Amino acid sequence: MRRLLKRGFVAAAILGLGAGAALADYPEKTIEVVVPYAAGGGTDTGARLLLPELEKVLGQSMIIKNIPGAGGTVGATQFSRMKGDGYSLGFLPVGTTTTQPHLRKLTYDDNSFEPVCLTIQDPMAVAIDPGSPIQSIDELIAKAKDQTLSAGGPPPGSLPHIAQAAVANAYGVQFKYVPHEGGPAASKSILGGKLDILVDPIGSAINYGLRPLVLLDGKRHASVPDLPTIDEAGGPPLRYSIWFGLFAPAGTPAEIVKQLSDACKAATTTDAYVQAVANAKRTPRFLPHDEFKTFFKQQYQANAELMSVIGLKK
Amino acid sequence: MIEHLPAALTLSASFTVLLALIVGTIAGIIVGALPGLGTVLGLVMALPFTYALDGPTAVALLLALYVSSIYGGSISAILINVPGTPQSAATVFDGYPMAQRGEGALALGWATTASFIGGIFSLVVLILIAPQLAKVALEFGPIETFALVLFALTTIAWVSSGEMLKGLLSACIGLFLAFIGPDDMTGQVRFDFDILFLSGGLAVIPLLIGLFAISEVIYQAATLTDAEMPSVKSGGFKFPSWAAWRPRIVTLLRSCGIGSFIGVLPGTGATAAVFVAYADAKRRSDTPENFGKGEPDGLIASEASNNAVSGGAMVPMLALGIPGDGGTVVMMGALTIHNVIPGVRLFQNQPDVVLSIFLLLLAANIFMLIFGAMGANVFSRLLRIPITLLMPLVLMMSLVGAYAVRSNPVDLVVALGAGLVAFVLRLNSFPLAPIIIGFILGGALEMSLRQGLVMTDQSFLRFFESPIALFLFAITALIVANLILGDRLLRFLPGFSARERK
Repeated sequence: MRRLLKRGFVAAAILGLGAGAALADYPEKTIEVVVPYAAGGGTDTGARLLLPELEKVLGQSMIIKNIPGAGGTVGATQFSRMKGDGYSLGFLPVGTTTTQPHLRKLTYDDNSFEPVCLTIQDPMAVAIDPGSPIQSIDELIAKAKDQTLSAGGPPPGSLPHIAQAAVANAYGVQFKYVPHEGGPAASKSILGGKLDILVDPIGSAINYGLRPLVLLDGKRHASVPDLPTIDEAGGPPLRYSIWFGLFAPAGTPAEIVKQLSDACKAATTTDAYVQAVANAKRTPRFLPHDEFKTFFKQQYQANAELMSVIGLKK
Repeated sequence: MIEHLPAALTLSASFTVLLALIVGTIAGIIVGALPGLGTVLGLVMALPFTYALDGPTAVALLLALYVSSIYGGSISAILINVPGTPQSAATVFDGYPMAQRGEGALALGWATTASFIGGIFSLVVLILIAPQLAKVALEFGPIETFALVLFALTTIAWVSSGEMLKGLLSACIGLFLAFIGPDDMTGQVRFDFDILFLSGGLAVIPLLIGLFAISEVIYQAATLTDAEMPSVKSGGFKFPSWAAWRPRIVTLLRSCGIGSFIGVLPGTGATAAVFVAYADAKRRSDTPENFGKGEPDGLIASEASNNAVSGGAMVPMLALGIPGDGGTVVMMGALTIHNVIPGVRLFQNQPDVVLSIFLLLLAANIFMLIFGAMGANVFSRLLRIPITLLMPLVLMMSLVGAYAVRSNPVDLVVALGAGLVAFVLRLNSFPLAPIIIGFILGGALEMSLRQGLVMTDQSFLRFFESPIALFLFAITALIVANLILGDRLLRFLPGFSARERK
């Protein structure tokens, strides 16, 4: 059913817009893209923004296979065992690929995946209840020195958890962390006055109805140009973001990875893509496969060290 | 708000909107009826199509799909004992026995009308008191949620009457199954025995399919002889008469109220609402012994409450910008893409858009009624298939449905295992519903308790500082005490007696 509808849609899209240029031999058949989270979430929508454009460039249909569970590790493990022939790809986020392997015993690591391209990197923001009198990060910290403030977010080891710990650490305070099912649940607790702080991607924080105080990034965000960065607010130079990228299983031929990376570049520069990403308040960032690989390896190492610093390393 | 009616009508009255409603309704009924697809997946599949549509058309498509997919689950629940969606879990209790009695057409009639009225009721609630209700939803933090879930667990008593001990044992199985997989409080994985596929925990649909559909297939295979091949009397679709409706109006309205209210509270979910409404209907019935054997009241409670959740779940989504369930998460994403930003400001700045959403929701419910009646006519012909052919088909569809949920092979093992275990339990007259109730509420129960304990620095006594929680704890304590004392405590309070009153 899902496949059928998807194919129908793809066929309509291709017929309507004129099929993309046929590339050598690859791809000859439908490409399957593993998304290790449920449909509708941040990872899934990231993939669903990219794939329609990528399909047009590659001239071949791509279908999403959602394999959710355990912080994306169920899907990522299955993906890491797939054949590296270019017909099995994965759209994976930072946590699944670079923090989970340090938290738990898993059969994959940084060598199990071949980075293809980075497409989205959403900077995180410190957000609070819009009705709160607090107007800046300094006022928040002043209050935190007075009384214990609580922060919420997904389970320990997730990036929102790590980021709130890093903020507290850098300012010499400590937040009480109350794990929730995810960002939306934590936001509800904040709006109900049961919780004080959520550190989450900027677009999500705004969509959940929270008021961001400061952006954990070096430059301001297009969707909220008034929001100061942590540097501008006179804070420590913290950089926290959640990124998403396209991966192939290790062993995928270099020429296919190169071809996919080039296609990804073309797809992420179309007007339709740029507009859709902006509407969703996401943050486009493209890195081709070689640069993404360097970036990925660095992140993997950095997060390993981070996990031991905060005492979560397995 | 009424002064914005012309503007809202201009927004939503067009040919493309009409077309979107029709397509959405039909697609919704299909994804609802097919086990393993369900509401969220249907919405996600429709999402890319809406990019190309104008705002009202896109919203019409998604609303029609949302509303009718909840209803669609009842069709397979009634006809083949397979709840198409988790929201229809309680529909099988009375819907399937009715179909087996040859009253499938009537059962579909009850379910369709109850769904329609549930949807309309919650829409009225949404229109009248959305902003006020949204504030109530925010009052429900972890501590209040824990108290509510604990209260909801007392429904186990009502679905296992006569077999209380066995019912409680079944519930314990369900509670235990809920603890498999990731622990959201620590990020660690429990009871996975280092099996990768168990590390994500169990999903509710494969369990439902195993407990109800596969166990039914095994049961039929084990008990059927040529002589007692059930002869199916009628296909088709039959609206229940007004005379049959009249004594059930109170049950209907109470179920609508329960569904709307629990729908407003994120975190407990539609499935919990269904069981609370079912237990409530049984508790108040003059003939509780008929529940589970094809009592229309049970069917009405289940179907009215699950469709009433649809309007309830829209309350926090539209008024606060907080989606209450998976369906509203997707819906909110779609609205945002079309420049309708849910939240407090929506009602002030775009009243015409809000009103047009209400109108579309009304239209979606009406279309659900029409297409439901027509579609049920087609679907119910399934019952004319000889049972020896139908059951293998059910088995195949069940397994496909179990796997389709998340492409995890463990779900096939879970469905088959649950089917075998449920078969054995049925032979020993263990009620199966408590397993599902325990499983569905188990996660929320543990999570809210532990969240509450973190917030109160591990002091359970401070849970009683919340007036809402205190009230819910008190009702729960009363009900449990009444059960232990053999119904002596609350005999004179109408509606709380667990014993059959005749």
